Amino acid sequence: MTFTVTGDTVHGTERIFPFDLIPRVIPDAEWQKIEQGLSQRIIALNLFLNDIYHGGKIIADGIIPEDVVKSAAHYRPEMVGVDVPKDIYIHICGSDLIRDGEGNYLVLEDNGRCPSGVSYLLENREAMKRAVPGMYRALGVRPVDDYADLLRKTLEFLSPRQAQSPVCVVLTPGLYNSAYFEHSFLARQMGIEIVEGRDLVAIDGYVYMRTTRGLVQVDVIYRRIDDDFLDPQVFREDSMLGVPGLMDAYLKGNVALANAVGTGVADDKVTYAYVPDMIRYYLAQEPIIDNVPTYLGWREGDRRYILEHLEELVVKAANESGGYGMLMGPSSTKEERVVFAQRIEAEPRNYVAQPVVSLSRHPTICGDHIEGRHVDLRPFVLYGEDIEIIPGGLTRVALTKGSLVVNSSQGGGSKDTWVLYQ
Amino acid sequence: MLSRVADSLYWLSRYIEHAENLARLVEVTRRDSLAIRGASSGESIWRPILFASDLEDEYENAASDDEKNADVGYFVTLSVDNPDSIRRCIALARENARVVRDQISEEMWVELNSIHLYLKSQAAEQDYLQDPDRLFRKIIRFSVVFQGLTASTILHDEGWQFSRLGQFIERTDKTSRILDTLTFTGDEPERSELLSVLRACSSFAAFRKEYVDGVSFRNVASFLLFSQAFPRSVRFCLRRLDETLHAISGVAPGAFSNEAERLTGSALAQINFSSVDEVWSRGLHKSIDDLQVRLNNIGQQIYETYVHLPFEIRNVTRTEGIPLDWRHQQQQQQQ
Repeated sequence: MTFTVTGDTVHGTERIFPFDLIPRVIPDAEWQKIEQGLSQRIIALNLFLNDIYHGGKIIADGIIPEDVVKSAAHYRPEMVGVDVPKDIYIHICGSDLIRDGEGNYLVLEDNGRCPSGVSYLLENREAMKRAVPGMYRALGVRPVDDYADLLRKTLEFLSPRQAQSPVCVVLTPGLYNSAYFEHSFLARQMGIEIVEGRDLVAIDGYVYMRTTRGLVQVDVIYRRIDDDFLDPQVFREDSMLGVPGLMDAYLKGNVALANAVGTGVADDKVTYAYVPDMIRYYLAQEPIIDNVPTYLGWREGDRRYILEHLEELVVKAANESGGYGMLMGPSSTKEERVVFAQRIEAEPRNYVAQPVVSLSRHPTICGDHIEGRHVDLRPFVLYGEDIEIIPGGLTRVALTKGSLVVNSSQGGGSKDTWVLYQ
Repeated sequence: MLSRVADSLYWLSRYIEHAENLARLVEVTRRDSLAIRGASSGESIWRPILFASDLEDEYENAASDDEKNADVGYFVTLSVDNPDSIRRCIALARENARVVRDQISEEMWVELNSIHLYLKSQAAEQDYLQDPDRLFRKIIRFSVVFQGLTASTILHDEGWQFSRLGQFIERTDKTSRILDTLTFTGDEPERSELLSVLRACSSFAAFRKEYVDGVSFRNVASFLLFSQAFPRSVRFCLRRLDETLHAISGVAPGAFSNEAERLTGSALAQINFSSVDEVWSRGLHKSIDDLQVRLNNIGQQIYETYVHLPFEIRNVTRTEGIPLDWRHQQQQQQQ
């Protein structure tokens, strides 16, 4: 399996994604709690999105400052007052979980725009079944292979034309995207077309794909491109990846998008800090899985704390992903800290900080022996007619000794995750 | 199927057919140039290759920029300055294959990827200098294996038909161009030249079977244009092209539903009801020129009919010609 690294022209861009043979095992009881916690969370996130694009009771009730919502980079004023199919915004969510010193799972961040990695999970499982079939059978591992079916059902559920079998497509930025392998893998597994923007055309409020038999109407688009690039008539007008007129068709309800437009406001790293409050507010429940304590740059007191404790904290840019734009306090140099302090002062809204949670470690093959390496877990949640979470998720591992950064673009690898029947 | 996917399958096989034909042409020419060593500087024997591939201007430019390119064999085979070199064609074939990875078999991909890696490696450069036979055998073998895999490892569905279109239109074009090299000097070609042309079309043994009365200019032309059974003759390839177009549209043979079908049917009829006498009285070069104009039109019409759909796309604000930027946008972060 390969992926692509951005911004490395010397060594070319295709890389192998390293895979560790020792699986991470999760007992059933532990998994059930994770499942409940993630279901609770995706419901709350969706209620939040529906709320803020329809008046914002949560803002009026003083739970979340209006400023936090409206200043999020991915807040889309175009979506105010728009009803999305079934009121679901985030259909596919990948929340990153870590474990603290007591073994509790905590949510590190939510990925509610275009979470990636599920293809690695599925391929890892195939590789493990071939490599250690005996162990796999003896332990009783819950299967993951119905993911593609579940995803397809989730997409079909959104179709505006329920009478006939819906036409769903995967919309990819293209060949040069780091996750192109995954886009094409999922399309193949679901038995649907993978399309680029230039394969689609919007005419009079409907979206069609260009085929050798002429135009075919499209009902549901699983888009793996950012909001910004979806439609040059509405968002970035220099976008060469999008479809002019797509938003018009979407707003008219003639085509569904998964995920919806504007979900980025919910996985913003500042909004994140308020998710436990959302759960209490909308569901009147306590969060089953907690957040990592988070300091917000825009709060005066928090900011002072961040600047005074840079050496102990992990600082993250609010709207970056993939481990880019991050400061690991304990391993940073003085120069890096000075740079980050300046950035935080200049753009406090754009930075959050968290204490370094010592990610749990897991035995990992390192050369000819086994050592502990830090891991996290990204389960994949599907929200359609029901909420479905395939057992396990992608366990990412920081292959460099002592490193806490597990992102594939920063030298991370992955493991198979085994959820047991008991 | 998606128009873009059909287009990529078409070009994938077309580039590979193109590369194979070039490889055979260069290999044969190289061998012949050994035979007539001393007869001339060697320059003149290479000329027809450039002529057959329409590369005379590119060659002049590239040769003056980099002396490596002055060697026509190198220019056609490995040069990165020649947009039409075997190496560049294989790279383009691979780009197209990446787009349709889900349509082709793993075996096809592995073969294509390894010839691509070989052609851009130092090993290929070295083979060109020290063991050129090995280099050309490898390329031709690759193409034959790849076409075999195409026939035996993927569904014979619409996508496969599009790859056949690419293959046969390119093969028609190449056979006719190779034949046309005989008209280059305007003199009656020598026997050795006739043999080279037959070998460049892998057709020496097949020719012997159909024409026992010997190697003459008229016989060679008649064979490469009109043979019913030889799979690289113009007639044979046009017939396949015609069949494939009808398999795609489902329209009965002899009728047509689009311009590509009409032009192909007409070109095939022209060949079917013509004769070597007629070709001779019009002039071989003129006849081949006409054929190539027809082939260009057919290629254009396949594109118009199946890829560039003939409807008006409104509000297209796409800017032109900044692929780098496009590539950059594709690289947007994934979460």
